[in-house]
Amino acid sequence: MAAGFKTAEPLEYHRSFLKENCRPDGRELVEFRTTTLNIGSISTAEGSALVKIGNTTVICGIKMELANPSVEAPNKGYIVPNVDLPPLCSSGFRPGAPGEQAQAASQFMADIIESSEVVKTEDLCIERGKLCWVLYCDLMCLDYDGNLLDTCTIALLAALKNAQLPEVTVNAETSLPEVDLKKRKPLQIHRHPVASSFCVFDNSILIVDPTGEEERLSTAQLTVVTDEDGRLCSVHKPGGTSLSGERLQECISRAQVRHREIRKLIDKVAQSVTSGK
Amino acid sequence: MCQWWWMLNFYVCIVDSPFLWVYGVICIQLCVCDGLLHFYVCMVDALCLCVYGGCSISMCVCWMLHLYVFIVDCSISVCLWWMLYFYLFMVDHSIYVCFLCLQRLDGRQTYDYRKIKITFGTDYGCCFVDLGKTRVMAQVSCELVTPKESRPNEGIMFFNLELSPMASPAFELGRSSELLVKLNRQLERCLRNSRCIDTESLCVVSGEKVWQIRVDVHMLNHDGNLMDATSIAAIAALSHFKRPDVGIQGDVVTVYSAQERDPIALSIYHMPICVSFSFFQQGTYLLVDPCEREERVMDGLLMIAMNKHREICSIQSSGGIMLLKEQVLRCSKIASVKVSEITDLIAKALENDKKARKEGRKCGFAESMPQERITALKNLETTVEMTDLTKQASDIVEGVETPAEMALSPVVPAPGVGQVGAGLQNAWGLEDEEDEEEEVDGDEPEVTIVAEKRGNKKKGERPVVIISDSEEEEVVILNPESS
Amino acid sequence: LRTTMEVCSSDGFNVTLREFGCEQCLLSRPDGSSSFIQGDTSVLAAVYGPAEVKVSKEIYDRATLEVVIQTKVGLPSVKERSQEQCVRETCEASLLSSLHPRSSLTLILQVLHNDGSLLSCFLNAACMAFMDAGLPMSCLFCGVTCAIASDGQVITDPTATQEKESRALLTFAIDSTEQKVLMSSTKGSFSVHELQECIAISQMASEKIFQFYRESVQRRYSKTL
Repeated sequence: MAAGFKTAEPLEYHRSFLKENCRPDGRELVEFRTTTLNIGSISTAEGSALVKIGNTTVICGIKMELANPSVEAPNKGYIVPNVDLPPLCSSGFRPGAPGEQAQAASQFMADIIESSEVVKTEDLCIERGKLCWVLYCDLMCLDYDGNLLDTCTIALLAALKNAQLPEVTVNAETSLPEVDLKKRKPLQIHRHPVASSFCVFDNSILIVDPTGEEERLSTAQLTVVTDEDGRLCSVHKPGGTSLSGERLQECISRAQVRHREIRKLIDKVAQSVTSGK
Repeated sequence: MCQWWWMLNFYVCIVDSPFLWVYGVICIQLCVCDGLLHFYVCMVDALCLCVYGGCSISMCVCWMLHLYVFIVDCSISVCLWWMLYFYLFMVDHSIYVCFLCLQRLDGRQTYDYRKIKITFGTDYGCCFVDLGKTRVMAQVSCELVTPKESRPNEGIMFFNLELSPMASPAFELGRSSELLVKLNRQLERCLRNSRCIDTESLCVVSGEKVWQIRVDVHMLNHDGNLMDATSIAAIAALSHFKRPDVGIQGDVVTVYSAQERDPIALSIYHMPICVSFSFFQQGTYLLVDPCEREERVMDGLLMIAMNKHREICSIQSSGGIMLLKEQVLRCSKIASVKVSEITDLIAKALENDKKARKEGRKCGFAESMPQERITALKNLETTVEMTDLTKQASDIVEGVETPAEMALSPVVPAPGVGQVGAGLQNAWGLEDEEDEEEEVDGDEPEVTIVAEKRGNKKKGERPVVIISDSEEEEVVILNPESS
Repeated sequence: LRTTMEVCSSDGFNVTLREFGCEQCLLSRPDGSSSFIQGDTSVLAAVYGPAEVKVSKEIYDRATLEVVIQTKVGLPSVKERSQEQCVRETCEASLLSSLHPRSSLTLILQVLHNDGSLLSCFLNAACMAFMDAGLPMSCLFCGVTCAIASDGQVITDPTATQEKESRALLTFAIDSTEQKVLMSSTKGSFSVHELQECIAISQMASEKIFQFYRESVQRRYSKTL
């Protein structure tokens, strides 16, 4: 009966739960799903992390390449994030060129990296105007069940924390770079941006960490990215029903609590990796 | 009497509107002799011709009245003529009716161009062309690239036409249609193959660095004759464009910004302009600058690209009609007249823009917006009144109580793996504390496997099962065998 | 019709909107068209629809809205894609698309010149084009861009140079009925207080733009056809 109701009238089904201030999966309105983090999941990548929020799973691998810096910014390297939503992760995605959601998510990740300066591109410069690092941050969604942006940000941040830069020396004679894979040093992480996503139901009810179905039924989505100083790196609301400043503020305070939670998680896991060695 | 009247009618239709008032007067005179009913009808006819000077609904009504009158009192032959007219109108061959009157739907004569308006944007190399309702934008940009191996000391010029869905609902995004290929090819023939731009002056370091000039043409509104509009926009934009100056010290090439050194205009030898002719009824009728409705019914198209020195740069005939030598020659004569007119127009527009920039006046699209139109409105720079902003913001920030719940503490069941979430707090009262705190001895945290299988327990491994309160699958963390 | 408004701001904010203007119904082919200019930034918008929709894109209970942003040079990149998403979802919230089920609406935005505040100009042009097309909407919307300079000063409707020098850039879409935030897109880091200030400023600036919308509609329909 309940299953039939859920299929026939999904919106009404959700409403009946929201009326009681809870959600179909038993969560409260401001409750996140269980977040699982695994750092260093891919041994061949320079840095990697796997994050699961509920069913949504994202794996992030960081690869590094040497390149020439651009003429406009000779002392900067590049960070290239790319979010991939393969047909594997949900029936809603088709093979082929990345869809709008994947492209928007890639742009969002690029914006966060730039806004928060999680890694300064200046740190990636090896020799001014000649040589720099390119960090390819590939985020692959393995299972899609809503809240892609939160999962991606945690995966990216954890992978960057895990990434090790090999030492590079430029040979004076041949002027060719020599990479010493033995000597590695971790990337300097300046800030820790953490995203928290919200959904608006029926123009008024705010819920956090929406599942795939909740995302589809919601009237608006909002993602707030905060850093450890309580500053905001992004307030991304691509449209949907309107929210007042007060409601936004509620979301921001919830996001700040969430930030502390995730920060502790990443730190603790990162510590367990280094102490385990 | 009726034959006289008809001859006059025909004559008036051929020549233009200044004769209309004569027509009106003579009509009245003729009709007074003829009869009162006819007099009234002719009065209405004359009035309509005077007001509209062309074909319109009211004219149609008028002809119907004529028909009635002629049936009442005149000869069969004239009657038939009017019936033909009426028939043509009714079956929507209005274009052919217009040819019978030697006039076109929008009131133009056969050899008339629609009104051409050329405006330049704020950037160098940005040009808008309005050809009647057809509207096209061209933008020229440049980039330093390595030259082609076959031509190491020549710059590169290429065209990128965009049939934006804005111009017509028939255009699809990112689809290269036949029309697009045709336009692109013709533009290349008109501008690149005619060598109107000195590509050798675009060389910076031979074989290493040359300027690549890119011309982007966007169709904004398609109302026929996209080719002529495109060629005008492209050549005008190229003449308007200025590239940054470069300096070469040793093997270092520096590109100077507009503030450091004045940008340089391209050197243009001549300005080829494309003129389109459309043919109807196997070449019986010829029209210059066909509009979209005319293009839809035309039999053939002839495009002649020519400069003002009357040198033909390309001739292209399409649509599968046979043209006589005389027809082509006649078209080229018409083209030479049109090209010199358009060239003058471009020169004048360039001159005006140059003057405006010199005087420091504002230029660009924002300035070209027609102020007098009822659909346009402009607001000057406005200041927004602000009252107690800081306080208002603080009120909102402080007004929201921070959630009472504190940040949850994460658990690390195995090195390299951590979990956080309300499920771990056992809100549903499940006592799995021991499970969560299971420490599994593993030496290689990198190979920790996170598997998701409900109730999957392998022998010899001690999975850490965290039961969350949701309907999601449990997360089972398996550790490699340490032995 | 030209008006100037000179009111000193009490908090020392430099809150001015550049000269802005709009022309509607300037293209003959689309069902609705408008050009919106803010200072030198100008955008051309065209709307087609409600029209037939491809079966693969059909939504059974409302119209499918497609937004296409055309850059001046080259092909649209990932950045334009995310802007398209922002504009589309904002328009979807204000359009009453359930009145035209199983049909398509297409909005094409062409950049004519970019001199800062491009996203807000897209939104304004889009709203005017929808008005021109006569599509039913639940509310109007407008876009306001705020830049926070390195000294903390808030600049509304910044130029491209001001954008480049700024520490943070915030663009909001405000609705006309309750002056709430329909869309928000930000760049750079800023404090919560600054965010709320910018929202308040945008809400006040939006009143000016809505006033302008009203005036232009009044002017347009001042003569009955």
